[in-house]
Amino acid sequence: MSLSNILEDWSRYRKDREDGGFHDYEHMWGMAIDLNKCIGCNACSVACYAENNLPVVGREKFSKGQAMHWMRIERYWDEPDLGDDRISEFNQHGANFIPMNCQQCNAATCEPVCPVAATYHTPDGLNAQVYNRCIGSRYCSNNCPYRLRFFNFYSYYEDAWPAPLEMQLNPDLSVRDKGVMEKCTFCVQRIRSVKDKAKMDNRPVADGEAMPACAQTCPTSAIVFGDLLKHYDPDTNAPETKVTKMWRAHQVELGKPRQNKQNPELRGYRVFEGLNTDPCVMFLERVREV
Amino acid sequence: MSNKVNRRDFLKIMGWGGVGATLAGCDMPTTVTLEEGKEQVTSYLVPEEYVIPGVGVYYASTCLQCPAGCGLHGRVREGRILKLEGNPESPVNQGKLCQMGQAGVQTHYNPDRLTRPMARKGSGLTPVSWDEALSMIQSKTSGLAGERFAWFTDTVSGHQAVLMDAYRESIGSSRHYVHEIINNSVARQVNQDMLGDPQPHLRFDKARVVLSFGADFLGTWQSPVHNAVEYATFREAPRGVLVQVEPKMTLTGANADLWVAVRPGTEGVFALAVANALSAKDPARLDGLPDKARQLIRRYDIKKASRITGASGDHIVKVSGWLAERSPSLVIAGASAEGHEHGYDTVAATMLLNIILGNIGKTIESSGTFPFPQLAARTGGTKDLIDFAKAVDDKELDVVFFRGANPVFTAPETLGLKEKLNKVGFKVAFSMFEDETTRMADLVLPMYSPLEDWGTHVAAYQPGPSVIAIQQPLMQPLYDQTRGFGDVMLSLLKMQKAAGYSDYPDYYAYLRDAFSAMPGSLKNGASDDEFWASVMQKGVLAVDTGEGRLSANVIDFDLPENPAKEGAYHLVPSARLGMWDGRHANIPWLQEAPDQISKVVWDSWAEIHPNTARKLGVKTGDAIKITSASGTIEANVYVYKGIHPDAIAVPMGQGHEAYGRYAKGRGVNPLKILALNTEGKTGELAHHGTEVQVSRTSVRDAMVQFGGSETQMGRKIIATVTADVYERTEGEA
Repeated sequence: MSLSNILEDWSRYRKDREDGGFHDYEHMWGMAIDLNKCIGCNACSVACYAENNLPVVGREKFSKGQAMHWMRIERYWDEPDLGDDRISEFNQHGANFIPMNCQQCNAATCEPVCPVAATYHTPDGLNAQVYNRCIGSRYCSNNCPYRLRFFNFYSYYEDAWPAPLEMQLNPDLSVRDKGVMEKCTFCVQRIRSVKDKAKMDNRPVADGEAMPACAQTCPTSAIVFGDLLKHYDPDTNAPETKVTKMWRAHQVELGKPRQNKQNPELRGYRVFEGLNTDPCVMFLERVREV
Repeated sequence: MSNKVNRRDFLKIMGWGGVGATLAGCDMPTTVTLEEGKEQVTSYLVPEEYVIPGVGVYYASTCLQCPAGCGLHGRVREGRILKLEGNPESPVNQGKLCQMGQAGVQTHYNPDRLTRPMARKGSGLTPVSWDEALSMIQSKTSGLAGERFAWFTDTVSGHQAVLMDAYRESIGSSRHYVHEIINNSVARQVNQDMLGDPQPHLRFDKARVVLSFGADFLGTWQSPVHNAVEYATFREAPRGVLVQVEPKMTLTGANADLWVAVRPGTEGVFALAVANALSAKDPARLDGLPDKARQLIRRYDIKKASRITGASGDHIVKVSGWLAERSPSLVIAGASAEGHEHGYDTVAATMLLNIILGNIGKTIESSGTFPFPQLAARTGGTKDLIDFAKAVDDKELDVVFFRGANPVFTAPETLGLKEKLNKVGFKVAFSMFEDETTRMADLVLPMYSPLEDWGTHVAAYQPGPSVIAIQQPLMQPLYDQTRGFGDVMLSLLKMQKAAGYSDYPDYYAYLRDAFSAMPGSLKNGASDDEFWASVMQKGVLAVDTGEGRLSANVIDFDLPENPAKEGAYHLVPSARLGMWDGRHANIPWLQEAPDQISKVVWDSWAEIHPNTARKLGVKTGDAIKITSASGTIEANVYVYKGIHPDAIAVPMGQGHEAYGRYAKGRGVNPLKILALNTEGKTGELAHHGTEVQVSRTSVRDAMVQFGGSETQMGRKIIATVTADVYERTEGEA
């Protein structure tokens, strides 16, 4: 270890102590999901099952809320259309669909409550789960305001993939056992392989190269994924990523519990950002002609 | 030699043979030494051809989960297919896939696949060898009078269809029944009669207004993924308006700016009333129309149409306003419009709107002429099912080959197909699964999965540039007693001594030769090998269909003055993106994927309106009994405001009596209780025209639904802005 390394480490340590919450991020993976384009078709969810070795739990366990859908489509009806029949006889503006996966919060409420630090923040800005470290206290799931953490109540590998279904399992990530919490990783294994490839080619990761399974398959391209950090670093020559452009166009910034938009009509928002979870997923509001 | 593995041996095995040790590790006795185990140990230093250890490689193929023909990229790693993604080269899906496509791997790896040929001995099916199976076919077909043989299939195309035709002709039969329960046969007939093109290109991306009468184009209609890709453009600024008119909210209806519930069977009246409102503002719009059409349009003023359809008059005004202001528009009609006795006239009325609005040639384009008619899709609907049942009943058929379609599951009970099939002496099922039809077969031939087989496909709906989609095997067959469809057809043709097939050792050789024989204009000067390699790499072969012109011929049609019966409940057998016609009920991912609208999993349900629920005294989760003249089904209800009070919707896809562990004994099949009404002009089954009685019944098992809340409870999870805000902030400057 050279002196310069020691000094570098020391200054990073000092900065962390002095500026609370400082992270030396390599990337900040984020999303922009356009609800004007999302049709609620569920392709993202099944793609996630295929990519991430998610077990099918069956009807009984599903009814107990034990389904393992890291990416799911929530559907709500317009409120005036329910509640009181006199307001409207029909759901005349259709349904409200929203794809919900882990919001990869920068101030994640799940992280500080883990007694064993099984959930932590990576230098990629991801909220990661270390399966080997997890003891199954489920505090994180209890603290997630989005209900996007999923607990293995059973050893699903015993019967979720009767032969030869198990041959489909993705060897790039593990099959989780009973007692372990799991969640959306932004397809960290796909990010990993793209980063490795870029490193071997000695170049930065290009925009659109890293692509989670959900964004890849979305028929309307409603899900845009990329590195949000390009926004904050004026020194790099790399062009701004598409996702960063969208965040900027909609005047949504990381690190704020309340956006102070110059144009309040812009559609960008983050779900429950008032809780100061600082999610990395921005949604664009649904649009309806009236 | 000691049988214990010491540390050194263990390290040798691990270091020496990564594959053998890791892949076969679970099955290997723990006490094998390197010497004893060496035959199972293959070093990664000698990888198989095209295998890079640890690296997934993508190969192009074609998705066969529905007839749309989307291009695939399959990720193959260490000889296993792991994941399917859309092929960006395919003009159909442009790199995207729906949930059914994503789940293609679970069709392939399904634990309930058939693994060996079986023949009926007595009441059961017993294993036989392929040689025995093929010679059984030969003995049953030799000396058979030609017309006593028939194919019964789902949509087929490409070179498989060529071989099927050749075999049929070698026997001397002209009978090929094509059956799809999710079809657009009635609309195809209208398109042919009015536009001179059964399947024109539709341009959702160009349209400013889309008015859809029950066409679930984002879910189950024609080419859902392609339509969704175009829909994304449609929703970009300047943002198009989507209006959906139908009795039960489809996935497309759930995305509409305005969803209009109409009484079942009255879509045509709504369309004519919109035409009436358009002509009231601008009488010149009706110039050039025949008198009969003008009279029809004049017949439905807003007040009358509103009374018949049950839709509010304001909505008719609003829709006609949008159509008048924004051009071009696109009017389409799907299952709920087609599925009545006057379905043809209803669809004609919607097409009349396209003519009045000048959409022909703008958002509806000619598909040109496909240069290889022998490869084009043979598609069909339910007329062939009805004709087939009659032919079987009249004892006109001795040998029937089934492939793809599952008529015993999809046929209404009143057709009595299951019993009638006993009159066919020899039924052969080319099948991957023991479904209801395969179970009745006398000979079951286990097929390769679509990911193991060769093929070419030409989808019935070719969006934009027409393509021949290439299906190539993505991995070795899982079972050594299964065979490829093309290979079996070639064997049969050789047994028939049909001219021109004896030289091909297998279907691959046949396809190679067929591609070599393609015209030079497609090869761009490449050698045969280069051409083949490039086609395999791309997964699609674009073919020029030339310029075509659509006619705008207003045909003579009529609607019943009031096509609806008020106060009667109509059964809507709705189609779901996911289960499709029931062919995906054996895929666990799709069983566990909540329905987009009701969010129910692993089950059937009945959708009813709150008014109907109040009349019946039921709430969501209670059970009802739905009775038609031909049977009864029971299901739990889902009460919501996305359905007309006169309609009861039960989704298709469940209610299997066979078809593997995930499908069997789950939910009910609404197709079973359909009445045998047929559409007047085409003879298709009027599948939305069944009247039913509904009553409350005792509680079934609880219905399992995803999500705890029907509304957002005032929280800002999904916010909505109006289109003018969107236009202000993101519209074109």
